[in-house]
Amino acid sequence: MLKNGVLKMKNEEQIKKDIETTFGELVKVHIKRRHRIKVDAPKNMTLPILAYLKQRGFHQFTLLTCVDWIKKGMFELVYNLYSLDYNVHVLVSTHINRENESMPTAINIYEMAFDYEREIHEMFGVEFEGHPRLGEFLLEDWKGMPPMRKDFDTRAYVEEKFNVKDLTKELFTRKEQPYRGPGSNG
Amino acid sequence: MKLFNFSQSRSLWMMHFCTGCGAMEMPPTMTSRFDMERFGIIPMATPRQSDLLLITGYLTIKTLKRVVRAYEQMPTPRYVLGFGSCTINGGMYWDSYNVIKKLELYIPVDIYINGCMPRPEAIIDAFLKLREMIAKGEANAWKKYIENYEWYKKNQSEVFDVEKWSIKNEK
Ligand code: SF4
Repeated sequence: MLKNGVLKMKNEEQIKKDIETTFGELVKVHIKRRHRIKVDAPKNMTLPILAYLKQRGFHQFTLLTCVDWIKKGMFELVYNLYSLDYNVHVLVSTHINRENESMPTAINIYEMAFDYEREIHEMFGVEFEGHPRLGEFLLEDWKGMPPMRKDFDTRAYVEEKFNVKDLTKELFTRKEQPYRGPGSNG
Repeated sequence: MKLFNFSQSRSLWMMHFCTGCGAMEMPPTMTSRFDMERFGIIPMATPRQSDLLLITGYLTIKTLKRVVRAYEQMPTPRYVLGFGSCTINGGMYWDSYNVIKKLELYIPVDIYINGCMPRPEAIIDAFLKLREMIAKGEANAWKKYIENYEWYKKNQSEVFDVEKWSIKNEK
């Protein structure tokens, strides 16, 4: 942050103050840099904050992402909001347990969350309470552990699914030629 | 037969199955800069009217189901052209959970272009090579599919449910 006024963060500081006065000690607000604010919220405060920010001018729901903190046993859900009026991104982040914990859906506040929640349900297995259509989305006929979890072993899965003995060797060297049928010219 | 092969080689209607990054190289190849129509190759909308199937890059299992379906609808003789290293051995998706590794396990391929991504020059080169092969009567991978139908079906069934996704093959 420069002192001579080149980088003023008026909007950011105002928004930070507003959130803090509204929600008090319950949430932590950090100004990460210019145009970017991060809000750490507990699970039950996440939706109220989203609703508050929406009427505060954050009309654009950019993205919902999920991070798998496997050592802590937590999923971090990050709601990315953006406001054209202030030119500020707000990241609302919350943690839930990896196993047996669900998150209330945000589609009543931001309709855009619909598909993001479906995707995260499919890729990480997070349950969203009240979502009308969690289920098959991008993957088809997928059984077993969702593929984006950290404990999903991609190589073991590939070796089993595609019938490869040692992935690092076989696909690169191609020792064993695929079958050449009688109709082939080679 | 020679005449038939010759005529076949001069008029290829292709269906480009736009998967992966290779679809990006098709517009310059089709349009005026590289202009593949001078070789008698034109894009065609449906598999039932085309001779040549381009697989332009990586295939996920989900797409493979559709590709097999499209391939089985094409009239014989039919040719398949695999683009880029992804169709040869998985390319940079060699350890991806959802991308098939060797295209020729599932459908027979006449000719591959290597590179990641092949330039339009390489694509034109492959077309010319394929044309030569057809004229000489060498491009008969489609016969392999008919003769070794069970073998291909077995491979396909390892990655997806063939029963649910196949159409009756009229040979
Ligand atoms: S070979 Fe390279 S350019 Fe082609 S589909 Fe694969 S990753 Fe993309």
